[in-house]
Amino acid sequence: MEQTKENKFLSIKTKLLGTVIPVVIVLIVVLLLVAYNVCAGIIEDDSRDLLEASVSNQASRIEAWLNENLAAFQIVKETIEDVQPKEADLQKMLDSYYGYNSNYPEGLYIADSTGKMQKATESAKQESDPLNSTWYKEGLTRINMAYGSAYQNAEGINVISASGILNDGTGEIKVISADVTLERISIIVNSFIEMDGAEAFLVDLNTGTILAHRDSELISQKLGGEGQPVFYGDVAAKITEADYDFCTLDGNMTVFEKVNGTNWILVSYIPTGVVLADLAKLRTIMLIISIIAILLLCVVVERMTHMVIKPVKKLTETITSMSSGDFTVSVSTKGNDEIAVMSRSVEKFIASMRSMISSMGDISGKLKGQALSCDDVSHDMNDAANIQAQSMSELNMTVDQLSISVNEIAENATMLAGYVADTKTDSDAVEEKMRETVDVSEKGRTDMKRVGEALENIKLSVQNLETAVNKVGTASGEIVQIVQFIGNIAEETNLLSLNASIEAARAGEAGKGFAVVATEIGKLAQNSAESVENIARLINQINLLVEDAVRQAGDSVGEISDSTELIHTAVDTFDLIFQNVQDTSQLIESVVEKVNQVDQVATNVAAISEEQAASSDEILATSEAMLAQAKGISENSEQVAEEAKNLATSSENLAGQVQQFQI
Amino acid sequence: MKKSLSILLVIALWVCCLCGCGSEQAAEDGKGDDVRILMTLSSADTFRNILVNQAQQTAKESGVTLDLFDADGNLENQVSHIKKAVSEGYDVIMCGPVNVDTAKEITVLAGDIPVVFYNSCPDESVLKADKYMYVGSSEEVAGGYQAEYILEKFASKEEINVAIFKGEKNHSGTVGRTDGLKSGLKESGEKINYVFEDFATWDQATAEKYFDIFLKTGQPCDVVACNNDSMALGVIASCKKAGRNDIMVLGVDATADGCAAIEAGDMAFTVYQSATGQGEAAVKTAIALATGGSASNIEGVTEDGKYVWVPFERVDSSNVKNYE
Repeated sequence: MEQTKENKFLSIKTKLLGTVIPVVIVLIVVLLLVAYNVCAGIIEDDSRDLLEASVSNQASRIEAWLNENLAAFQIVKETIEDVQPKEADLQKMLDSYYGYNSNYPEGLYIADSTGKMQKATESAKQESDPLNSTWYKEGLTRINMAYGSAYQNAEGINVISASGILNDGTGEIKVISADVTLERISIIVNSFIEMDGAEAFLVDLNTGTILAHRDSELISQKLGGEGQPVFYGDVAAKITEADYDFCTLDGNMTVFEKVNGTNWILVSYIPTGVVLADLAKLRTIMLIISIIAILLLCVVVERMTHMVIKPVKKLTETITSMSSGDFTVSVSTKGNDEIAVMSRSVEKFIASMRSMISSMGDISGKLKGQALSCDDVSHDMNDAANIQAQSMSELNMTVDQLSISVNEIAENATMLAGYVADTKTDSDAVEEKMRETVDVSEKGRTDMKRVGEALENIKLSVQNLETAVNKVGTASGEIVQIVQFIGNIAEETNLLSLNASIEAARAGEAGKGFAVVATEIGKLAQNSAESVENIARLINQINLLVEDAVRQAGDSVGEISDSTELIHTAVDTFDLIFQNVQDTSQLIESVVEKVNQVDQVATNVAAISEEQAASSDEILATSEAMLAQAKGISENSEQVAEEAKNLATSSENLAGQVQQFQI
Repeated sequence: MKKSLSILLVIALWVCCLCGCGSEQAAEDGKGDDVRILMTLSSADTFRNILVNQAQQTAKESGVTLDLFDADGNLENQVSHIKKAVSEGYDVIMCGPVNVDTAKEITVLAGDIPVVFYNSCPDESVLKADKYMYVGSSEEVAGGYQAEYILEKFASKEEINVAIFKGEKNHSGTVGRTDGLKSGLKESGEKINYVFEDFATWDQATAEKYFDIFLKTGQPCDVVACNNDSMALGVIASCKKAGRNDIMVLGVDATADGCAAIEAGDMAFTVYQSATGQGEAAVKTAIALATGGSASNIEGVTEDGKYVWVPFERVDSSNVKNYE
């Protein structure tokens, strides 16, 4: 343990230096970078602004220079046009401008459309064919004098001419012109540069030639031509694109400015390196300052922490000896900062620890004694618990058996309740059936009574029939008498007719007709007699039939009377059956009631026995738990005994440890 | 580190506050009324009169006050106008500069008051987005239209002989129109001979005199492109004197005389510079600067926010009637 602690030990000083210094270094580096970048931006912007201002100013001054000369030429031209001098006077005037100004030492010269040229007497200007000269051709395209293109004159000098048509009133076309050397323009261009390290050159946009350059070799060369540095090619490309914005070409910050009043463009550039040279210096200074600052900071931080943590070191020594049990050390306190407070607290701590350790020694002795008595007690308790456990397990077995028996009873009671319930259902059905039977027998009895009544009615009807038939017999007897009376009449009639016939025959011819009538009446009487005989015969037959009917009705009445008696007997029997069935129904009802009561009792018994079974189960569970507890008590008391032993050992150890402290 | 973070936060908060206040201010002032515009005019001519009338009308319609002062071509007068605007607390100045080279001085004198230049364009370095702006027509476009017309009419010719009559030296119109014309012709790749090129200072008589002389030189000439219609009319007069009717003449501005010349068949083409459009756009820009502080919503404003371009229109015999 101590070995690893020593390995991990880091002093506060190291920690402080290890945190503060990297943070400060990072901060300074960040600060440096930010400052550097901001400065670089500012310097570049400044340089650009300066370059742009420079080139703009330069262009203005070139323009002014050109215009100054041009104005001078124009004055000469206008003077000539106003004065309209003769040739000699004109010559004088031209002579007077020779050498008048160093910018155009040759002065002015004039050529007319015939090719005749007039110049200052001392002028060295040579022109073999003025009409084809650049200045003449260009001069023809304007009245006001203006600068034209660069060309090499007869002496091989690069010049540029300002020319224009001279309207001297002669009606002849004349061109007046003056030359300015490109060399001179170059000097002018470069002497106007305002920025250190910057270069400038002038380009003719019409022809793309360099008009002015510090390097006279390049003058009147085509810009971006062969043998020129890459930069010139880039510039030529930009000019072709007519893109005159600030740009960096081939490591040169470049600006373009058109010269007003001409078709010329001034290109000014400065190598980026020149601009950034200041920046490099700035960077070096900043780097040195920051390194010094860091070193100074390291020293200061180191010294400060050393001073601050000196008392802490002393305190650490004290605490280290305290941790090895030596409380005889003392702490000296000085000052009133956090560390002094800490020291005083440690001092108090030592004092309180001393008293605490000595009282701990006493306590451990007492503790040991208590532990031993505790051990004894726990042994006794263990024995008692064991006995209790045994008793409990026996009780447990008994309760178990009881539980089983009760469960059986419960099961049987439940079964009984089931059976009774079934019986109840059945008896309910029987009761229902019985009721139906009662209703049916009731109905049967009623029906039977009705049959009896019907038979009585039939009997009465038959008796009435018999009476009616007897009346028929009497009536037919009367009819027979009537018929016999009619027969007698017919016989008498027949006799009468015979008599009549005899009388008629006696009368002869006069009675012939009467004879016929008597014959017919005789026939009629015979027919009537025959009919009477038939009727008498028919009535005899009817009498026979009526007698038969009367006899048969009498038989029916007798049979019906027998049936009526039988039916009455049946009705009585039905009454009896009905009575019996009703009694039976009442009996069954009472049986059902009884069965219901039995059902309730059986259900109650089943419920009670189930409760009993549950209770006995609970008793069983309780006794089992008690058994387990008794066992647990036994085990616990064993553990207590063990612990008491350990306690005794510990208190012995404690006493030993306490003795290690030096107080 | 924490400290620097908190400083950053404080700065951010501060900036937010400022922005907030700024936008609030703008919202308060954005009603458009109570705006007072001082309009200073270099000098009156036909074109500028139309421009000024339209400006006054637009101001009236927008419900703002516009006070017009004519410098009568005098720089001192114009400077006194600017000083008056400052002392009387005008919200914005509309300035048709007597001399564009003095534009810088005008902005300095105007102090915090925004300036809208019109009619004559100052150098780009003077202009500043939403502060010192120029409202006008891009002169290059006018020159470009002339170049297009020439190339179209002489498409069959291999060489075109062009004479150019320029306005005042260094005037933005002169420089822009001439550059537009030359670059348009150069881009075509045709062979162009500039047989004459001179400053006739916008003037008809000067142009006529110069062209008389030019014609005497006997050089070939197919077309004369003038920076304005007046010079074109001078050239036409010269041609008529010399009995030359084979020369095509082009102008710019579509003035009444110019249009009449097109109608008569003397002039081929001109470019209409919308004086009313410029007057209206100038007032609208002025109101925007005086109230919202930004002209970014004005039609025709350039990406850098320095210019508001009012479009030119091509005029030839086919549509000249619309411009008379």
